[in-house]
Amino acid sequence: VTRVPNEPWYTPLPPCETTVPCGQGRHVIRWEAGQLRLASHADPEAELVLAALGGQKARCVEIAEAWGRHVADLTVLTVWPRDPAAGIEVGWDDVDAAGQADQGGWAVPRHGAMRLASPPTAAIAMAAARRRRYQQEAGQASQRRLDMLSLLALGTGFQVRLSGQVAAAYAGRLDEPDEHGRNVRSVLTAALSGRLAPVAERWLGIDPDQVEASLHQEPGWGSVELAGHGQQRRLLVSLPAWWLARVWACGLALTGRHLVVAVEGACWPDARVLALRAPGAEPVSLSAHGSDGPPGSVDTPHWEI
Amino acid sequence: VLPVPGAPAVADTEDMDREGAETYLRLLAETVLRGSPAAAAEPGPPGTSRMMVVGHALIAVGALDPDVTEEILADFWLAVSMRQLHGEPGQPVTAAQWLSQGRAAPPRKPRPGAPPTAPPESAPPGADADQERSARFVPVGLTVPFRSGAISGELCLMSFARTGAGARFVAAWGVRSPSLELQSGFQHPGLIPFDEFTVTDDRGARYQLDHTPGSDLEWPNLIGLSPDPPQNIRWLDVAAPYRQAVRVDLRPAGDAAPASVSDTTLSPGEHLLVMLAERLLTWTPGFPRSGRLAGPPAGPWRAMTAGFGDIIAALEAADVLSPLSPVPARLATLCASLDLNGHGIAVPPARHLPEPWLSLLAHYQRRRPDPAQLRDGYAALAASLPELDGIRLTLLGLQHTQGNSALHVLAQGRTPEPRPGPLDIDLSFPLSIWLRDSGGRWHAARQDRCHRAGRESTIRLRLVPPLTRPVDWVEVLAGGRSAEVRATLPLHWRYPS
Repeated sequence: VTRVPNEPWYTPLPPCETTVPCGQGRHVIRWEAGQLRLASHADPEAELVLAALGGQKARCVEIAEAWGRHVADLTVLTVWPRDPAAGIEVGWDDVDAAGQADQGGWAVPRHGAMRLASPPTAAIAMAAARRRRYQQEAGQASQRRLDMLSLLALGTGFQVRLSGQVAAAYAGRLDEPDEHGRNVRSVLTAALSGRLAPVAERWLGIDPDQVEASLHQEPGWGSVELAGHGQQRRLLVSLPAWWLARVWACGLALTGRHLVVAVEGACWPDARVLALRAPGAEPVSLSAHGSDGPPGSVDTPHWEI
Repeated sequence: VLPVPGAPAVADTEDMDREGAETYLRLLAETVLRGSPAAAAEPGPPGTSRMMVVGHALIAVGALDPDVTEEILADFWLAVSMRQLHGEPGQPVTAAQWLSQGRAAPPRKPRPGAPPTAPPESAPPGADADQERSARFVPVGLTVPFRSGAISGELCLMSFARTGAGARFVAAWGVRSPSLELQSGFQHPGLIPFDEFTVTDDRGARYQLDHTPGSDLEWPNLIGLSPDPPQNIRWLDVAAPYRQAVRVDLRPAGDAAPASVSDTTLSPGEHLLVMLAERLLTWTPGFPRSGRLAGPPAGPWRAMTAGFGDIIAALEAADVLSPLSPVPARLATLCASLDLNGHGIAVPPARHLPEPWLSLLAHYQRRRPDPAQLRDGYAALAASLPELDGIRLTLLGLQHTQGNSALHVLAQGRTPEPRPGPLDIDLSFPLSIWLRDSGGRWHAARQDRCHRAGRESTIRLRLVPPLTRPVDWVEVLAGGRSAEVRATLPLHWRYPS
């Protein structure tokens, strides 16, 4: 029987950082212990006040704002990579191109001018309201897309850490809808399934479409069973929603040919994990040691038993 | 394949699992995003068709809110577009395009505790019910000859209907012009001189024929009266220019047709699958035959058929279709009979099919079409059927024109909102209508034209296959989720001269 550790989900994760084009140069953005830090901006809040007064907002500050907007946004789990090894590649050129396209404004259907004997005030007001609503919705969609592109452009290390933060924000409240009314359990079940499938493929060589995942909501770590044969073979996995943050986002999912099902305790670069050698086996407690991946590899830690 | 013996009732799964439905669609998005060569080969974002047909099916049975579906699809397409950023440019498709709601992006609005489907148009329930009760339906069966310049012909009045939405005739037209042989209104509605007729009631009040209710030149069968006459008039004189008026007696109101009602207790999922099966059956005549039936190479028909396996799995996940239901197996048999492969239905085909389906399949598999022996004509009707799933159906005329047969009906009651989608079924008319003619052949009734006004819809249903003989009677079979109604109606055919 396992319990959810009291320590934060990200204790097995090292800091990560990247540089972004900001102003005339490139600035460092760093993630550490669940927080995004802007190394080149000593007082981002003061910069926001200045921006509100008409000053230009620094890109680093915009990114920090976007991070804050999406740190509990379930859309991150539906859009972001399912496998760190297959991250979504977005460059700052893509972000700039999207930003320029948005500045062009949104196409609102216009009709040719007509002369009317008496202007229909109510109809004009309704049309104006529709136009405002359309612009507002289009503006929100555009902002959301730009946010997503900017956050993806930070790189794989930030992508998996943001996924972890979102999963952690909801793992303890599956029965409540999110702020937009989405069914949290449905989103997290799909997120678990989408992330577990490639892990299981590497673990057992099984077809990812033969992996059936569900959220484990009882005490304990869950279950992993193999059933059926041939085309009917299924890997039936039930894991808690916390697995997404504590295990998957920390790069621990497949460690030393074991499927890690829980983290018992961690302090980078060491972690004690509960892991399965094979489906149906009893999990064993193992010590794992992490290291930064080789140069040029994705920005997630590499673990060894 | 044999007829279904006694059509056993199937356990109803009334308590649907909406979370299961949402989870299924999200899991399908995961499968599609992982990508398969087949999915990647289809036009538009890969897997779009699978996502859309399943989303539409779950909306159709009320298991998924359209807003939730739109959000899931929007997230899916966002995920696809992010992954295609440096790949092949995909064809942009938005959730809004599919749902025809005109929104460019998923609205992010709080909706905790929102009902699963949008309520239909609100109206004081008592007032609507009163209006439906006070409706008057009269079979007419009169022909009004006319001449207008070089155009001549007959206005064939099938029935009169007066409801809360106003008074109207359901009519057929026979039109002659120097350049045309007799045409019966389907092809040349622009020639009909609506505004030259005069209509007078028993109190001397005058009315005009108004073609605007349907606002559809291809549908000249629905003719309003303007202004709306009072409720208790006894007759109307309908006159063409320089012609004696024809009196339409409005006193003998149409009675409820003698009908038998039997329980069917279809689950929402079974009802949807039956609608899809009938859509397949009525789609088929539009395609060329080459020995055996051949489906079209692409299009919505293909997408729908290829999605049957996913749809059935989704309906089971939403608890609106029992795994023991016999309907998926019948659908598999139907697909096999129509030579449709790749439907993805996991259960083996059934040995039994419903008798109307068999009759239609037998018609298709005849090597030679039936020789048409039925002249252009019409049969007056005004028969109300018992209420079915909250919908009261009144039959207002049967027409045969240029080889096509049509049944005109009025549907009153609380019907779901129309939700256009890839399944090409009309959610606002969720009834299955069949006619069995006195020769024993079944004809499926497929919606062809519809005019919706508040809680009622006037609908022209095209019969597939069309009638080929002047049958003496028809048995109407109207099927809903909870029950089916059978009514036998005598027919008195009239023919324009």
